[in-house]
Amino acid sequence: MAKESFDKEIQFLRMLVLTSGAFSRQQFAERLGISVHTFDKTIRRLKDVISSMHQHLPQEQSAELSETIRFSYYDSTDPLLLFLFRAKSVKESESQRISLLLGAMNEQARSAMELLDMCCDSLSPGLPLPDEKTIRSDLKYLEEVGVILKEPGPRPYRYRIQDDLVRSLSNDELIDLYDFVDVMANTQVPSVQGYLLRDGLKKHLLRGQFEQHAIEPFLYKYHYYSRILDEAHLFTLLHAIRHRRRVRFLYFSPKSEKSYASKNTNPLFERDTAGKAHKTLPLKIVYDHQYGRWYLLSHSREGIRKYRMEGITQIEEDESVDEVWHEEKKNELQEKLRYSWLIDTGKPVTVRVRFYNPGDSEPNFVKERVLLQGQWGQIVSEDEYSFIYEITINGTTEIKPWLRSFGSSCEVLEPIRFRREMIAEWKEIQSYYESV
Amino acid sequence: MNLFEKIFNHQIISRLEDSGTFMVTSHERAWLKTMLEHPAAAEAFTPDTLNKLHTILGPDPLMDISSHLIEKARSMEKQVYHPLLRTLRRHILNKTGVRLTYVIKSGRVNSDQSGVPYKLEYSMVKREWYLLWYHLRHRAVMTTRLKNIHSVTAEPIEPSMADSIFRKIGRMLDSRKSEAVIEIVRDYNEELSRILYAFSSFEKDVEYDSEKDTYKVRVYLLGDDFEYLLSKIRFLGKRVRVVEGDYLKRRMLEASTKALERYGVISEGEELSS
Repeated sequence: MAKESFDKEIQFLRMLVLTSGAFSRQQFAERLGISVHTFDKTIRRLKDVISSMHQHLPQEQSAELSETIRFSYYDSTDPLLLFLFRAKSVKESESQRISLLLGAMNEQARSAMELLDMCCDSLSPGLPLPDEKTIRSDLKYLEEVGVILKEPGPRPYRYRIQDDLVRSLSNDELIDLYDFVDVMANTQVPSVQGYLLRDGLKKHLLRGQFEQHAIEPFLYKYHYYSRILDEAHLFTLLHAIRHRRRVRFLYFSPKSEKSYASKNTNPLFERDTAGKAHKTLPLKIVYDHQYGRWYLLSHSREGIRKYRMEGITQIEEDESVDEVWHEEKKNELQEKLRYSWLIDTGKPVTVRVRFYNPGDSEPNFVKERVLLQGQWGQIVSEDEYSFIYEITINGTTEIKPWLRSFGSSCEVLEPIRFRREMIAEWKEIQSYYESV
Repeated sequence: MNLFEKIFNHQIISRLEDSGTFMVTSHERAWLKTMLEHPAAAEAFTPDTLNKLHTILGPDPLMDISSHLIEKARSMEKQVYHPLLRTLRRHILNKTGVRLTYVIKSGRVNSDQSGVPYKLEYSMVKREWYLLWYHLRHRAVMTTRLKNIHSVTAEPIEPSMADSIFRKIGRMLDSRKSEAVIEIVRDYNEELSRILYAFSSFEKDVEYDSEKDTYKVRVYLLGDDFEYLLSKIRFLGKRVRVVEGDYLKRRMLEASTKALERYGVISEGEELSS
């Protein structure tokens, strides 16, 4: 697969989504570590893919891609970023052949030879005609990814499309299924498979009796749109963990200015890439709901390593390691993560915080939120006006933003160093607005 | 499992549309089977449908994510489905009107209010469902928690009327949009990615001033989103500063002043004025 092209497109899209419209072509290309020429080419390609997926979008060439994929809440039912996973390039002849085969098996079960005849009759003139071997390997692939089934019975084997999921459900049941997939893809992780399935079901419903209005009843407030892109490496990494394999990749710290480097064959361009080559043993994946980000936690010679998924490019699997040792490392990490608000594996510390209830007339939304988001922390005492929340966590850095988000409804009591930090920060924030 | 399988290719998908073929891979089925283990499944389907799905997906594997994936800082999951979701969604589908009885904040019950259901909205923060609907007598867009709805009965309306109400709601929501501009304090430009991730749940534009090396995030939001935006701004602390939006600025001044009072710190400004 054209891995490199995908690495580039993900980084490209992520930057476009996060910084929509901030940079000129030149600046954008520079930050991405590509040439302006490559920038233009990528934009053109992505636009083509989008327009083939979403015919209803405005076609005028002047429409900027960044505007097209800009997150718009009341229009967000179709996650446009999903198209990245659709953008994989496939040879024209192959895409024609495979869709032809699937279409034929949709009507009835067919044998390889029947399919071969069909292909020879209906492929566009000018495309090379497939041979039996090609058809058999296509069938093998389609069976492997679970799109078709081999019917029971004697040779020659017949294959049919595996669409029981929609064939055996009534229209009413299909609506329930579609809703369930929609809700789960939007509220749970991982979600990309769910979005792909939702897409398929949606097309199926629209082909039937349903209109557009019928299939977009839901909205989801404040979920992190771009999380979809960071799922790109998830399954590669899960595979590596399952098979106890190390992985190699080029890593771009999110703090560096550049987020991609093309694999240049021309030695003239082989200067210092901002990325660093890493080799590491993946142990756990963490999804952080606070920011909507994915992390890889792994073991290297230096000990535990933490990577932001968005910075990983050119990932490849490497050799496998001993099972017992792998298990040991995984358990060690798991133990260290027990008290991580997110992924901090530093020394545990007990934080005590006083939360103030809102006025009498209002529902206690402060307490509601603490109970909802306070992870394993406990409310240890309570009076009319306030309550004390206590939690043991690895370091105070990761919980700090959450506590600060409560504003004056929250007062850090212990540790005293943390209390002083909060005071200093509020002073500084106050100074931002003193002139108001 | 690979999200980049060629079978997901857009050309193949768009060609299949012509033949009416429904294609689903074992990846998607494994995902669905895994999600069906969630308690929400029991509320999403009738027992019959759920049985059917289990039978269809019988031979497929489950995803083994739970042993390798950890979710952190997530809100406790109170509600993924609500018993009224299926009913209301069908009223939306059929463009029917409804008669609602629901409790409002003060605890008072509003009985038999006629309206048209528009969308169902889930808050990822509160982990709860809301109904957006049009109140026929008040001619207003309403937001009501499903858990506060006591009863719903269908009430016929003209389909053409439903369509015109949907259009009207769209216009009303658009007109309620306002803007705020938040600047990333330059010392924290290194954290650009983190900060933009935090704002990624909003509709926004980013402006970059290359001479001053400064980023500004223009956020578009509805009235009831201000509280959430404020909590995000406080969340980011010193890293960001509101530069446009008097309401937000005042609220930030108030929050910081009150917070310092809690800590027993009197700000310099107050000392001067007293």
